[in-house]
Amino acid sequence: MNESLSEHISLSFQRALPLLTSILLLLISYMPMNVFFLGNLKIAVSIACVYFWLLHRSDLFNLFSVCFLGFFEDILSAAPFGSNMVTLLLCYVLITNLAKFFNAKPFVVIWYGFGALMFVAAFSRWLLVSIYYGQFLPLPSLIFSVLITVAVYPLLSMLNAFIQGAFIQEDA
Amino acid sequence: MKRLAKKFAIVILFFTAFVFMLINKTDTVIIEKTSSVATDIVSPIMDTLVIPARAVGNLYDYFRELKQIHQDNKRLMEENARLLKIRDNAISLEIENKILTNLLNYVAPPEATFFTARIVAEEEDTFSHSVIVYTGSNNTVRKGQVALGSRGVVGRVDRVGNMYSRIMLLTDINSKVPVVIERTRVRGILSGDNTSVPKMVFTPLSAEINVGDRVVTSGVAGTFPPGLPVGRVISAEKGNIKVEMFSDLASLEYVKIIDYNLIDLEETE
Repeated sequence: MNESLSEHISLSFQRALPLLTSILLLLISYMPMNVFFLGNLKIAVSIACVYFWLLHRSDLFNLFSVCFLGFFEDILSAAPFGSNMVTLLLCYVLITNLAKFFNAKPFVVIWYGFGALMFVAAFSRWLLVSIYYGQFLPLPSLIFSVLITVAVYPLLSMLNAFIQGAFIQEDA
Repeated sequence: MKRLAKKFAIVILFFTAFVFMLINKTDTVIIEKTSSVATDIVSPIMDTLVIPARAVGNLYDYFRELKQIHQDNKRLMEENARLLKIRDNAISLEIENKILTNLLNYVAPPEATFFTARIVAEEEDTFSHSVIVYTGSNNTVRKGQVALGSRGVVGRVDRVGNMYSRIMLLTDINSKVPVVIERTRVRGILSGDNTSVPKMVFTPLSAEINVGDRVVTSGVAGTFPPGLPVGRVISAEKGNIKVEMFSDLASLEYVKIIDYNLIDLEETE
C-alpha cells in the first residue's frame, strides 16, 4: 500500500516536473542580475520552455501547463495582464501544429524552428501590447531580446534535457 | 471529439486572456488587487532564489572593487578636504536660514520619512519597466510614494502588497512625472517609453533647453515634491527631448521609499 502511494507521488512529481522546471527558470529570469549589458533585455525563458517540452514531452506539458505558465508570468510581469498568456497560447497552437515536422530532426533544425517561433511570438506580443497602449513600443530592445533568447536556447534546452533524462521516466 | 474539445478550450483560453487585458485596460481594481496578492505569494520564492545569486555577485564585485580602492582612496581624501570647506559654508548658511525663517514666519512643509527596501525582482524589457521590493510588514507604504535611488528619483510605488510592493520605474510606458529644467524653469512631463531614456514632453516650442541641463521634479500635481533630481538632458531636439536618468536603473539593488505626506493616490482613485 505504502509502496503504491510513494510510486503514485513519484509519478505525479515526474509529471509536474516540466511545469515546475519552467516556473523555476522563469523566476530566475526575473532575478535582479545587475549586469550592465542586460539592462533592457530579458530572455524569454517561458517560450523556450514551452517549445522544448511541447516538442519532447507533450504528454506531460499540455494546454493547462502552457496556460498556467502564461498566467504565472502575467503575475510576475508589470506588462498588460493577459499578454503573456496570449503569447504562450499562440506558441502552443503553432508548436502543436508543427511538432510533426520537427520529429527526429537534428538539433540545428529544432534550433532554427525556435528562432522562427521566437520571432513570430515576440512580434505578435509587441503588436498586441503596442495596440493596447496605442503607441509603438521600442523595437531595438525587442530584437536584441529575441536574438539573445535564440542564442541561449541550446543552454536552456540542455538544462531541460537534463531534467528530462535524469528525473522523468519514459512512461511517466 | 477530443480534438474539437481541445480547439474549443484554446478559443476559450484566448478569449479569457483578452478579457484579462480588457479589464486591465479599464483600470479596475480587480486586476490590481489580484496582482498585489499574487505578488505577495510569489515574491518570497524570488527572495530565496536571490540569496545564492547575490552571494556570487557580491564575491565578483569584491574582487573587482579591490583594484579600484587605491585610486578611490586618493580621490576621496581630496574630496573630503573640499567638502570640509563646503560644510563650514553650509553651517553658516543654515544659521542664516533659521534667522530669516523666523523673521518671515515661514511654515515649513512636513518632514519626509523614509525606509530602504531591497529589490527582489526586476523587469526592464520592451513591455514594461518595474521592480518588486521587499517592504516587510511596513504598513506606511502607499501607492504613489516616491522611490529614490542613490542619485535621484527612480520611480513611484505602483502596487502595494502585505510584504512586497511593485515600483513603476520612470522609464515605464505608464510613467508620467511633472518635471522642470532646473536652469531655465521650463516645465514639462517626463514620459517613459520602455527605453532607458524617457522623453520630456509638453514643453513650449520656444523653450530654451540645452544638452546637459539638469532635470528635477516640478512638484506640479502634488504626487512628487519639487526639486528632486531626476536626470540630465542628452538630446534637446525640438519634439524629441531625451533625459538620461541620474540613477543607473539597470544596477539598482536598493531603493529608498519616501513618504512626503503628499497626495494619497489610493484615496484619490
